[in-house]
Amino acid sequence: MLRVLHLAIIQTAALLVPTHDRAEWLSEWRAELWYVNRRATAFSLGSFSDALWMNRNISAPIERRWFRLESPVKCVMFLAGLAALSLLLALSLPGDNPAPPTPDGESQSVRQAATAEISEQQPPADIDLNTSLSNRDAHPSSAITGAPLGQASTETLGGDRLALLYAGFGLCSALLVAVSRGTPLRLGEYPVNRYAPAAPLRLLRWVFLAVKIALVVPLVLCAVLTLGPFVPQFAGWGMLLGLIFGLRWTLMDQRERCPVCLRLLSNPTCIGDASQLFLGWYGTELLCSRGHGFLYVPGTSTSWGEAQRWQYLDPTWSTLLP
Amino acid sequence: MALEAKLSHTAAIILQALDAGYVYGFSVMETTGLPSGTVYPALRRLERDGLIRSSWESQAVADAGQRPARKYYRITRVGQATLAASQKRYPLLARLFPVPAQEDA
Repeated sequence: MLRVLHLAIIQTAALLVPTHDRAEWLSEWRAELWYVNRRATAFSLGSFSDALWMNRNISAPIERRWFRLESPVKCVMFLAGLAALSLLLALSLPGDNPAPPTPDGESQSVRQAATAEISEQQPPADIDLNTSLSNRDAHPSSAITGAPLGQASTETLGGDRLALLYAGFGLCSALLVAVSRGTPLRLGEYPVNRYAPAAPLRLLRWVFLAVKIALVVPLVLCAVLTLGPFVPQFAGWGMLLGLIFGLRWTLMDQRERCPVCLRLLSNPTCIGDASQLFLGWYGTELLCSRGHGFLYVPGTSTSWGEAQRWQYLDPTWSTLLP
Repeated sequence: MALEAKLSHTAAIILQALDAGYVYGFSVMETTGLPSGTVYPALRRLERDGLIRSSWESQAVADAGQRPARKYYRITRVGQATLAASQKRYPLLARLFPVPAQEDA
């Protein structure tokens, strides 16, 4: 019975090990466990340290390759396909499409407050119940305020717009704060030197980022519109979380790309050691497979190297790279 | 050699245990008294740095002993040099472990 528990502990720890090393790792731990006849639980729990070490130090480039949107065209096509699919699904919903919900119901509360304020400003004596209720019941707020239908609609529409503006501003602020908690908003340092490409080509990088954001945002909104009716109480949070993860992915993807060819960088190599650091540098070096340059990503932020830094390569490197 | 200076006490002890003939993870654990969560990651680190090399016991030998096949660790030439440097630095290291009794494997 205990043996099953120990095997289960090791099996659970194995989930942390990269897939291509997992079978061998499990074989070793199972074989070692066979020889342990005392304190086997402590022995089995030690597998977590080992698995964690494997997780942190053994890279698994092959297993990630299937979902690497390496080429920028492939990336944009993939996002555009997803956005088109979600848009089609959202448009095919039966009935009226609901307005996009807000995460905290701010829009609704502001609208109620605006309606209450308007009703306070208008004297109730103006209301002609006999005529107004019969003529204006198409718009509840105009019936309450006693204002002409067109005027009431304009005022309410203005209130809605204001509420939407507030909600949008609040959402954007919350979004930026939330995204910046997960990943830095800075994209890195790309110093311009004589090996850097011309300005229009450098601008392409920002266009690519804008296109990705322009595809991710409607993708999330349409997904929320499609799935919202099934779980209406989580629709607002779903949209916020979707936008946070979408923008976070966009920024992370952008940072992992070559600023010249916009392809994903490869060959990550660890440089230095965190435990041997004294006024030195440690982090990861990535290489553009087309030989455009190196990217240095610091392992920890310091006063002299907070963000990742790109280094353009001169043409002599082209003979070394394919 | 830069690597020699970087060997920690734990790594030096584990390397010494391997050199003394304790050639698989659990025997290193028993000899050194270090927990499994220290020994196995240290073995992987030493292997990554090229100081030791691992190899699986042949299945036929394991089947004959009616036990699962073990993964053995051997010190490489670089590992020997590093251990020699560590022994100069810590003279008692060489006398830390007795030579293990001959096992059935």
